[in-house]
Amino acid sequence: MSVAMRVLIVDDQPANRLLLASLLNDFGYDVVLAADGHDALNNFSEWAPDIVLLDIMMPGITGYELAPKLKELAGTVHLPIIFITALDEQESLLRCLSVGGDDFLPVPFEPVVLQAKLRAHQRVRELSQSVHEKNRSLAWHSARIDREHRIVEHIFRNALSRNYLDYEHIETHLIPASMFSGDLCLVAAGPLGNLYVLLGDFTGHGLAPATGALPLSQAFFTMADRGVSVAEMVTEFNQRLLQLLPDDMFCAAIMLEISASGERLTYWNGGMPTAFLINDDGEICERLPAQHMALGILPGDDFDSRVTTHNCHSQQRIVLHSDGVTELRNQQQQIFGEQRFEDLLTSQGRIKLSQVVAELEAFRGNKELEDDVSLAILRCKPTAVKHEPAVAEAGVRLPFELKVTIGVHEMKHAEPVTILMSSLSQLPALKSQRGTIFMLLSEAYNNALEHGLLGLDSGLKDDPQGFETYYQQRTSRLDDLTDGQITIKLKFDPTERLVQVKVSDSGAGVSTLSQKDMQEERPHGRGLALLSGLTENLEWLDNGRTVQFDFRL
Amino acid sequence: MSLHRQFSNDGKQLIITIKGKFDFSLVQEFRQAYAEINEQQPTVVIDLRETEYLDSSALGMLLNMRKSLGDRVKEIQLVNCRPEIRRILDISRFDKMFVIA
Repeated sequence: MSVAMRVLIVDDQPANRLLLASLLNDFGYDVVLAADGHDALNNFSEWAPDIVLLDIMMPGITGYELAPKLKELAGTVHLPIIFITALDEQESLLRCLSVGGDDFLPVPFEPVVLQAKLRAHQRVRELSQSVHEKNRSLAWHSARIDREHRIVEHIFRNALSRNYLDYEHIETHLIPASMFSGDLCLVAAGPLGNLYVLLGDFTGHGLAPATGALPLSQAFFTMADRGVSVAEMVTEFNQRLLQLLPDDMFCAAIMLEISASGERLTYWNGGMPTAFLINDDGEICERLPAQHMALGILPGDDFDSRVTTHNCHSQQRIVLHSDGVTELRNQQQQIFGEQRFEDLLTSQGRIKLSQVVAELEAFRGNKELEDDVSLAILRCKPTAVKHEPAVAEAGVRLPFELKVTIGVHEMKHAEPVTILMSSLSQLPALKSQRGTIFMLLSEAYNNALEHGLLGLDSGLKDDPQGFETYYQQRTSRLDDLTDGQITIKLKFDPTERLVQVKVSDSGAGVSTLSQKDMQEERPHGRGLALLSGLTENLEWLDNGRTVQFDFRL
Repeated sequence: MSLHRQFSNDGKQLIITIKGKFDFSLVQEFRQAYAEINEQQPTVVIDLRETEYLDSSALGMLLNMRKSLGDRVKEIQLVNCRPEIRRILDISRFDKMFVIA
């Protein structure tokens, strides 16, 4: 016995108590004594006995009355009560059992009989204690898991809070097989008004696969903000999941992009069921089958990010689904199957998502869901999403003047216009037009360098071979250049929202280009056409050494 | 600044993506990107979604591509243009020579 069992002896006869106590001490038990029922009840919680030896006939509370009270105090852990009794008629013994006693021992008895009974009840007590302990621990773990689930749910809600499931041309339906879904449908708009949709299915279902949704959705939303291509997105997803997921876990996914016009569909399908492009007559126009392995399996070099594109229009929709749909089972263990799904989609024009869901539910009946079921239907419409609202041009802008003098060293070893732009594009007033400002400065600078200082002949650029020769000459003549400078002057007037530009070179001066050079089909002279198309007051001064123009923001 | 090329799964499209700055510094790389065209008479898609800066040398490169590919490609599309770039293409009347989507 590791820790001695404590036995409570309740008997009004001091002689009996002493006799029993001495026997029990010999057996190795810890003993507490009570002279009557009150004594036993009052001290019960302090003594915390494991087994009770109980006399029946006592003044005050009898053993019959005391037994159920002690049982109640003992709570959920079983407390063996053995009646010690001189009564031997059957009725008394039966009563002992009916009031909750577990055993009885008629006096006189052989000590070994008492010892045997105590041992037997001790085992029952220990068993009960162990079950009780396990129950408590189970309850504790269950509460802990509940709490953790709530936390994870919270994190998910936040991580997916910007999921654009409210997009007006998409309908989605996701039913998780357990508390957390291993399926995931992500929607986000890109900066050009393009729309990204990802339907993913992690291996398994429940908390573990759902965890993979966090890094995937983070990457999805970040890259959607940048407006990157589908090929680049899936490459990044694959890399992240490969790094994070254990070997036996991966994520089948179909990733698609609809252009802002709603007319260009680009997709990558890794291990998801075939999606369909259907028209409003219920005909399948294109199938979008899996062409690749799921995400999170192949290392970077083996991963294939090639996409497929289709033209589409507003009388067409894309139907995406997870394998939980086609592998759905009914009570008879039949599966819904791909053919039945396809038949359903083509059974009528413009079938509604709710109809598809109702058919699936009717098929499943009362059968328990075995896998997450996900569906999405996206109409190919002009997206009309404005992702990047024009920055409010609030507040006072400072007027400024800027003069940059570029020497031969900078011309040779740097890209002056790019460097200048990296500063200018920081200014809130110019930021939104940085592409155009770059183009204007680049044209003026290159004109000054290539014609003013290097004396290159634009006519070279008329055929593809000459185009490259031209740029080879540019490089070699620039290498040989020893003398010269180009000045760029910028003046910004915030009230007029006007940028005045003046670019001069120290060259010999050239005649301005002829009208012929401005013709569309020629690969050169185009820069000047752009300058005149985008600016005001374009003027050549100083024998062609200086060009100046105004650009209105 | 970088250039990325990839055929679509069915080989019907050659997608060329140009990030950052599209100018003469990409002359050779750009030409090589369309040098190997398959026999399928593919569509060439120039994806400008991440092209921040572009100048007339890029326009020249696009015209050269059109000239040198001729009938070997079905068409050339310029897709996902930012508004500023779209404006530059419009002023240069590129909509007459390319499919701008």
